[in-house]
Amino acid sequence: MTIAKSAAGGAAAGVSTLVTDAPDAALPVEKTDLGASKRMLTPRERRWRIVGKVIGAIASILLVLFIIGPLIWLAMSAFSTRGQSRSLLPQNWTLSGWSQVFQQPDLLHSFWLSLEFAVSAVVVSSLICLPAAYAIGRRRFPGRRVVLIGLFATNAFPKMGLFTSIATLFYFLHLMGTGPGVVIIQLLGTIVVMVWLPAAAFASVSPSLLDAARDAGAGTLRTFRQVTLPMALPGIGVALILAFLACFDEAQGTYLVGSPNYLTMPTVMYSLVDNYPEQAAAVFAIVLTIPSVLLLLVVRKHILGGHLAEGFQIK
Amino acid sequence: MTSTVATKETTPGPAAPTPVARGAAGRTAKRIGLGWLMVSPPVLVVIVFVGIPVVGGIAFAVGYTGGPNSFATLLATSVLQNDGSPTLDVFKNLFKDQLFLSDLWVTIIVTAVTVVVATLLAWAIALYARLSGSRWGSILTGVAIIPLFIPVVIGAYAIRNFYMNTGFWGIAGHMVGITLPPLSYHTSGIIVGQVWTSLPFAVLLISSGLAGVPDALVDAARDAGASTTRAVWSIMVPMCTVPTVIVATFTGVGVLGSFTVPFMIGPTAPTMLGVQLYTTYNAYGRPQDAQAMAVVMFALAILIGWAYVWANARQAKTSTVMTG
Repeated sequence: MTIAKSAAGGAAAGVSTLVTDAPDAALPVEKTDLGASKRMLTPRERRWRIVGKVIGAIASILLVLFIIGPLIWLAMSAFSTRGQSRSLLPQNWTLSGWSQVFQQPDLLHSFWLSLEFAVSAVVVSSLICLPAAYAIGRRRFPGRRVVLIGLFATNAFPKMGLFTSIATLFYFLHLMGTGPGVVIIQLLGTIVVMVWLPAAAFASVSPSLLDAARDAGAGTLRTFRQVTLPMALPGIGVALILAFLACFDEAQGTYLVGSPNYLTMPTVMYSLVDNYPEQAAAVFAIVLTIPSVLLLLVVRKHILGGHLAEGFQIK
Repeated sequence: MTSTVATKETTPGPAAPTPVARGAAGRTAKRIGLGWLMVSPPVLVVIVFVGIPVVGGIAFAVGYTGGPNSFATLLATSVLQNDGSPTLDVFKNLFKDQLFLSDLWVTIIVTAVTVVVATLLAWAIALYARLSGSRWGSILTGVAIIPLFIPVVIGAYAIRNFYMNTGFWGIAGHMVGITLPPLSYHTSGIIVGQVWTSLPFAVLLISSGLAGVPDALVDAARDAGASTTRAVWSIMVPMCTVPTVIVATFTGVGVLGSFTVPFMIGPTAPTMLGVQLYTTYNAYGRPQDAQAMAVVMFALAILIGWAYVWANARQAKTSTVMTG
């Protein structure tokens, strides 16, 4: 049982007293509500502790199955056909789904289309949002907080309700079913991440560094180019990648505004699952997931390291 | 609601710096002006493509069919026109529609259950990782974040296949000798999908909140004789109220407006409002009815937002009590 081992390790680190049952930990670190510390555990308590640990182990396994199970199942069906067999492991391993997908010009086309839209939306988003992020991060002006929170309106409305409202305006502006319409829809999903994260990055550049640069005779532009920008670059990079993925994976808004003229990969997925054999859909799903996984692995440390949570804390 | 606040405050902004133009005051004005100039592009985008559509959509739902709504009116198969004066008839008809009512009910149930389950699950995972400090704890956290890496469409598709009769769910049940009712094409499947997609954000925020609780504080409580449960309940929970509330509101609004998960996993009817909204707008060609549904959705989101503000205010109060 790895859990038992690791729980004992945790106790050694002095953090946990609840989850220990290793022999050496039976020596009493446990304290009760009444403050009656240091005493031996009764057999009854030990039994409960074992029960607790078994429940914990089962819960962990269920959680892992809940999260990863569907993905493994999907990956298996991309490489096999199951037919009518009622066994957990597929019987016939095959690559036919892969050739089927790569022989469909529509599907390849949708890949390039997704890429074009996502790149355009991110470029437009950078032009619009990065100067604003700089102003919010480095300048003090009245209404700054209102802007910061106001931009959040893009995320405060339930998505589908907002999208149909936008569609009504798009009909009026003749943007429905057009490329620019899709770019605008995707752009809206990036604004918060493209302002908040870079603003936090710009704000974190220490003022004494900027003073030093100025004392050394650097002008405003030079200070920005050689001090501020390089230091804020990681934060901006994370924002760019998250924004790109948000666009690349955006399905419901693109479906409403772009289809049937523009079918990106995620929107193709909606109809693909009904019109193609399971295996082809699974292959397509994996192809669509690859960019996300690769790009997110690049920024994984930053996300886990709290950049995402930090974005919620800029003041 | 947030956007209207922003709109009101933003419009007078750019005009402000013009009057004064000399000396220090002039510099301040220039500084403010430049600040406003830099933030105006995203603000304008939000006003034009969020503020106006939301206001226009609400107006459409209460019978305003002119202006920006005229084209959608032209394309609609049925529209209620009330010669200019606002009317609530669209809503009256909507709330007589059994299909809409059952969809609304499903939406509320799915949203409430998902918020509760995802928040509790995220707390359990984050707490386990924090308290045990073990490798297994951080592995579990890592596993819970995996759905973040998977596009929602793909995750929903994978979940649908997994919980079908012919998927793992059915086959595993069959092997054990019981017939498990498939969760796919059922409301329970929607909830499973929603929890799956909401979990990473919840775990990230609550873990980060728990990481901010100083070890010394927990140790001190333990030394004073508090049990681990007690330490969690009276130190960690109050100190993580803000991230918890952020998680609950974000999950709530996200699920409320979701389309992909109920569309892929759920039954044709009753389904969630997001799907019904799409079909009503696009397939049935009834944009006005869809808009009224969107307004109902916004109202539910305002309820959630109100809970957020309330919890924040309460948190501010308790923290002054604690420090003062």
